[in-house]
Amino acid sequence: MDILRRIWRSPSGRIGLIATLLVVIGGLAAPLLATHMPNQIDVAARLSPPSATHWLGTDQLGRDLFSRGLYGTRVAVGVALAVTAIALVIGILLGVAAAYAPAPIERIILAVFDIISAYPTLILALALVAVLGPGLQNIIILVTIVFVPRFGRIARAQTLTIKEQPFLEAERALGASGGRIMLFHVLPNIVGPIVVLASMNIPVVITLEAGLSFLGVGIRPPLASWGSMLFDGFTYIGQSVWPVLVAGGMLTLATLGFTLFGEALRDAIDPKLRREP
Amino acid sequence: MSYELTRRGFLAGAAAAGVTVLGQPWANVAYAADGKIVVRTDEDLQNLDPANRAGPIDVNVILAVGQGLVKFKPGTTEWENDAAAEIKQVSDTLIEFRLKEGLKFTGGYGDLTAEDVKFSFERFKPAADGTKVTYADDWAALDSVEVTGPLTGKIHLKAPSPAVWLIALADGSGVIISKKAFEALGDKFKTTAIGSGPYILKEWVPRDHFTLVANPDYIGEKPAFSEIVGKPITDDKTAQLALQAGEIDFSRIDPAVAKDVEATKGLKVEKLSAIDYVWIGPNIEKKPFDDVRVRQAIRKAIDVPAIIAAAYNGAVDQAFALEAPGLLGHWKDAPRYERDVDGAKALLEEAGLGGGFTTKLTVLNKAVAQATAAVVQANLAEIGIEVEIEALDPGAYWAYGENDASKNLELVLVEYRGKFDPGFQTQWFTSDQIGTWNWQRWSNKDFDALHKQGLVEPDPKKREQIYVDAQKLMDESAAFWWITHNAYTFAFKDWLVPGILPNGNQWQYASFKKA
Repeated sequence: MDILRRIWRSPSGRIGLIATLLVVIGGLAAPLLATHMPNQIDVAARLSPPSATHWLGTDQLGRDLFSRGLYGTRVAVGVALAVTAIALVIGILLGVAAAYAPAPIERIILAVFDIISAYPTLILALALVAVLGPGLQNIIILVTIVFVPRFGRIARAQTLTIKEQPFLEAERALGASGGRIMLFHVLPNIVGPIVVLASMNIPVVITLEAGLSFLGVGIRPPLASWGSMLFDGFTYIGQSVWPVLVAGGMLTLATLGFTLFGEALRDAIDPKLRREP
Repeated sequence: MSYELTRRGFLAGAAAAGVTVLGQPWANVAYAADGKIVVRTDEDLQNLDPANRAGPIDVNVILAVGQGLVKFKPGTTEWENDAAAEIKQVSDTLIEFRLKEGLKFTGGYGDLTAEDVKFSFERFKPAADGTKVTYADDWAALDSVEVTGPLTGKIHLKAPSPAVWLIALADGSGVIISKKAFEALGDKFKTTAIGSGPYILKEWVPRDHFTLVANPDYIGEKPAFSEIVGKPITDDKTAQLALQAGEIDFSRIDPAVAKDVEATKGLKVEKLSAIDYVWIGPNIEKKPFDDVRVRQAIRKAIDVPAIIAAAYNGAVDQAFALEAPGLLGHWKDAPRYERDVDGAKALLEEAGLGGGFTTKLTVLNKAVAQATAAVVQANLAEIGIEVEIEALDPGAYWAYGENDASKNLELVLVEYRGKFDPGFQTQWFTSDQIGTWNWQRWSNKDFDALHKQGLVEPDPKKREQIYVDAQKLMDESAAFWWITHNAYTFAFKDWLVPGILPNGNQWQYASFKKA
């Protein structure tokens, strides 16, 4: 509660929290809130502007943009949370293992991190799509691969920082096993900054998934994705701006919300990282 | 006499010069003053061998670089002499020709002779092992080419062939290639266009551009533009923006944006009905599409008017058979299938597939094709068929025409370009084409026989009936779900007059002129 209070105290934190809640609730409650089935076409009503029937208008196939936008939220947030959670777990395990492992194993883990990090994110993701193919499951796998080194490096650095701390020396002197020390002493002490990093990572994943879907190699139709909605909207922008506005607006709301929320969370958890003097 | 340049005088002079230049009606022509134009092609070049070309984008370059005995007059389906100084149909099965003197192949491959004509045309005959070039049927009637002199020869046909002038002699399959170049270049021949025509293919950078430059040794009328750059741009929207930004001078555009584009200063728009054939069909060797009831069910379920409204903005007419209106063999009484979801479900039930099934629809990754696929996906979902859309870039998509790859298809959206003789259209559906362009692997011996009869039947009325009968067989198979014959909308700079044949897909680069 104290953390939430600290987040609420900052104006940007409040905006971030509200936007994040809107996005998350919108995604979770999409089946309840949607006014139409997201894939239901109605060619007679294609590219129509907002109306009482279609609150945010329709796309080139007459599909309801409000409903598709909500279902797109499920995809975007679902992918972002799944990727972040899996990458977080694998990253922490590999990072802590690298910090404790013998030098040759540490070098191998770091080399793998370096190889993955050496490629621009989008290029690496596109290369992996070429291997794995598009689709929801593959997008989660490949974006996870891209993001594991980010968490792994932080986890290793944090572990190295506290590895030689006197309280761990004391634990070892008392006969605690390596596993126990890692699980009960190292992890709780490194997890804070990594969770902050994870929250900052969510908008990046959302943008990457939207980018891949925009390029036609992400989520497969007819599943709604903000990226593919943007691409379709771009194609028909001369006839209606609503598809682009809806998909772009939702993407902006989500990335802005998660970014501001992540920054506020960072400030709330670790006052040392605050930007203010 | 002396003249002192003052600041005021300089500004006044500069303003006057500016008004003089910008105010002239020829101001726009200045864009093409360097003699170069940039055209957008929907896809990249693929194969520049006339006998194995992949489509109109290839053949447009082949015809700009090469010469046939005759060629289409600009913008018409009438022909005129090209490499031939004289050519005449002596009888139903004999054509005599005499070549112009002084025709030379580019690249130092020497004079164009009657031997080259013989080599070029006889390549289309089946090889000793039975293998055929892709466009073999264009010259199906050919018996032999007899060389009677360095520049003279006789084309002997096995039977009368009314189609031979339209789809062979005047078109890509009639282009005369250099025998010497073909033997010297080997496999590189398909990427190196050697000819005696108005242009030289200076370079082809795959997926980026190709450049045609005027052939200084060409003895005919010089082309209006010394350089034509072709840029493959798959996406219509990107092409439209490039056109409006002045990066390209000529492009096919999405009909839906015609008004926007026409409102752009310096651009003109022209529309043309086409004779293409766009359809969706199954690979009938694959289960469950080998069952005619399943094919009939899908035909009942697909909402073609909705596809035309959603994917084509209503800018094209619906097709009901293979041959387009206006062509000989057009089947005007072809059945009009109304959408009938309950009927479709009943047929699936009867076929033991009441629970539905999952399949894959392969399409090009173009906006129109993807919108079509989305409608089909939604239509088929209503009868329990879950469709996964495989949207491929042109390279991967057209690769289904090689190495028997079409056996991996399930459903496919196909768009083939039409030519002026009905036999050109029917050839892709014969059993011989399975493994190349008969992607649905549909085989019907009666259809094959009708196609062969049609190629050699001289009586137009009988030919017409032959092609209608052939289309009836296609209809009975329920394997072809026709969508449209297409319509083309072109946009170009107002100082340009493009050379386009009436089918809309054959661009005569040598006929592009300044307005």
